[in-house]
Amino acid sequence: MDNSPLLNGQNAGKRKGSGISISKYLSYLFLIILCIIWIVPVIFGITTSFRSQTEVVSSGFRMFPKEWIFDNYIAILENTSTAPILRWLMNSLLIATMHTLLVVVVISITGYGYSRMKFKGRDTLFFTLLGISFFPGVVNLIPSYKIIDALGWVNTSWAMVIPGLAGMGNIFLVRQFMNGIPKELDESAHVDGASHYRIYMSIIVPLIKPVLIVCALFSFTGSWNDFLWPVIVFTDVDKMPVTAGLLLLQDIYGNYRMIGQLMGSAILAIIPTLLLFVFAQKYFVQSINLNSGIKG
Amino acid sequence: MKKKLNLAPVFFVGPHVILFAVFILLPTIYGIYASFTKWNLMNDPVWVGLDNYKTILFDNSSTFHTQFNNGLKNTLIFVLLSVPLLIVIPLLVAVALEHKKVKGKSLIQSIIYIPGLISISAGALIWLLLFNKQLGMAGNVFGSDVSWPANQPYAWIIIIIITVWGGVGGNMIIYRASISGVAQDLYESAEIDGAGPVRRFTSITLPSIRFPLIYTFVMTTAGAFNVFGQPLMMTDGGPRQSTHVLMMYIRQLAFGNGESIAGMASAMAVLLGLIILVISALQYYVMNRNAA
Repeated sequence: MDNSPLLNGQNAGKRKGSGISISKYLSYLFLIILCIIWIVPVIFGITTSFRSQTEVVSSGFRMFPKEWIFDNYIAILENTSTAPILRWLMNSLLIATMHTLLVVVVISITGYGYSRMKFKGRDTLFFTLLGISFFPGVVNLIPSYKIIDALGWVNTSWAMVIPGLAGMGNIFLVRQFMNGIPKELDESAHVDGASHYRIYMSIIVPLIKPVLIVCALFSFTGSWNDFLWPVIVFTDVDKMPVTAGLLLLQDIYGNYRMIGQLMGSAILAIIPTLLLFVFAQKYFVQSINLNSGIKG
Repeated sequence: MKKKLNLAPVFFVGPHVILFAVFILLPTIYGIYASFTKWNLMNDPVWVGLDNYKTILFDNSSTFHTQFNNGLKNTLIFVLLSVPLLIVIPLLVAVALEHKKVKGKSLIQSIIYIPGLISISAGALIWLLLFNKQLGMAGNVFGSDVSWPANQPYAWIIIIIITVWGGVGGNMIIYRASISGVAQDLYESAEIDGAGPVRRFTSITLPSIRFPLIYTFVMTTAGAFNVFGQPLMMTDGGPRQSTHVLMMYIRQLAFGNGESIAGMASAMAVLLGLIILVISALQYYVMNRNAA
């Protein structure tokens, strides 16, 4: 048994080694405590959605139910009058999907214009819009409602799908990303007589896929989770997305009388974004690498 | 042919310029204009000059003055409580995760990141259950006998907890990415010079991630000033208006029951916007200068 290299290693760095292990255990302790605090509410919410109301009220706190029941979910899905959660989920799905698809189209086309086309005043226009967009959004909140109203979009999905397309953040990212693509690529295509549309579709879009995927993921989750705006533009219970619906649930299941159904509704509302995260985890986590402005 | 080329940019940039004009530029200008008017969202706004601002800022007998002061005070409390935690905790997590020997990094990272993908309303329902007097953990495990949302300082505590829970992940990702970009030989040579973990953190890590730090600080603060969902869902502004933040008053005045007071609400919105602008600029200026 020749473990001398190991021994040597230990002897050589003894002080250093013990320092590392203390900081290692502290790091572990801190991270594990944090993880427990972070995950327990979600697990408790999930398990409570499988508890009977009698158990919730009578048995004190238990992490897992004595008996797993599905009644709450059945009741949620059957209640289509006061709390039509299935409809809210479909509304959210429609809104978030349409918004995301349009975001991808708008930012790729606009980014192409600001990055790959030459026209007079291009950069001035870009940076002017970017500068204006830094102005705090709270100022345009009330008139935005008025515009939505004038367009006849109050209580419609358009109110959630369209205004968010005007933002500059994603276009900034796409432009940055496109600026990193060698100009020779499309210039030679241009010389060969390819139109801008051709170059955009067959050269640029395939190359900017990573940034488009990241923007799509964040647009979807952002749209799915938006709260203030839907609370303002939706008064019709059947038309609203699920985030606004959950606010109503607080009153409908007042004071946590129907606790299992309340939790079941909350859990249903978070499943889509969690699924998205499970399948596209690396894009969420690496998203920041695309933003060279932040990496500094 | 030539004409076609000249028009091409219009097709590529034009649609978004229109969207921008309609949904950002126009409403921003109109929002500023409306703040100088009496407006109920229905009829045309009536110009009243600085009246709204005078009322909000100086008229002690007006409810708008009381609401603005209370809303601003509560918003500031929220900012001061949440922002430091939303900077420091993600930084600690990122540093702890950088530790060479720590295993299961991506699992830990995912667990901490996931609440950021949960909407405020769903998260609030779950956390309210945890802090429910009869049903939750606070009462049954820790023996607390208070109704958290209805008493101070507990109302603030649960608002801050859900905020930190949801907000740590995003900043953590930013710090992790930038810390992993710091050149390893800097740490190695510091170690040879006998610098401990704390010294390496303050002398190498912090200065190296200066820009991400400024960025997250400014963005997190600006975001915190817009706080709305957490107090609305968790406490509904109570107890006794003590968590009623400015955004809640703005929404209530413009879109609440009864006649809309959109002009007054717009003036409050402009004031909040100005505060955010000034504080962001100040933060950026001070941090950038001190670090340079």
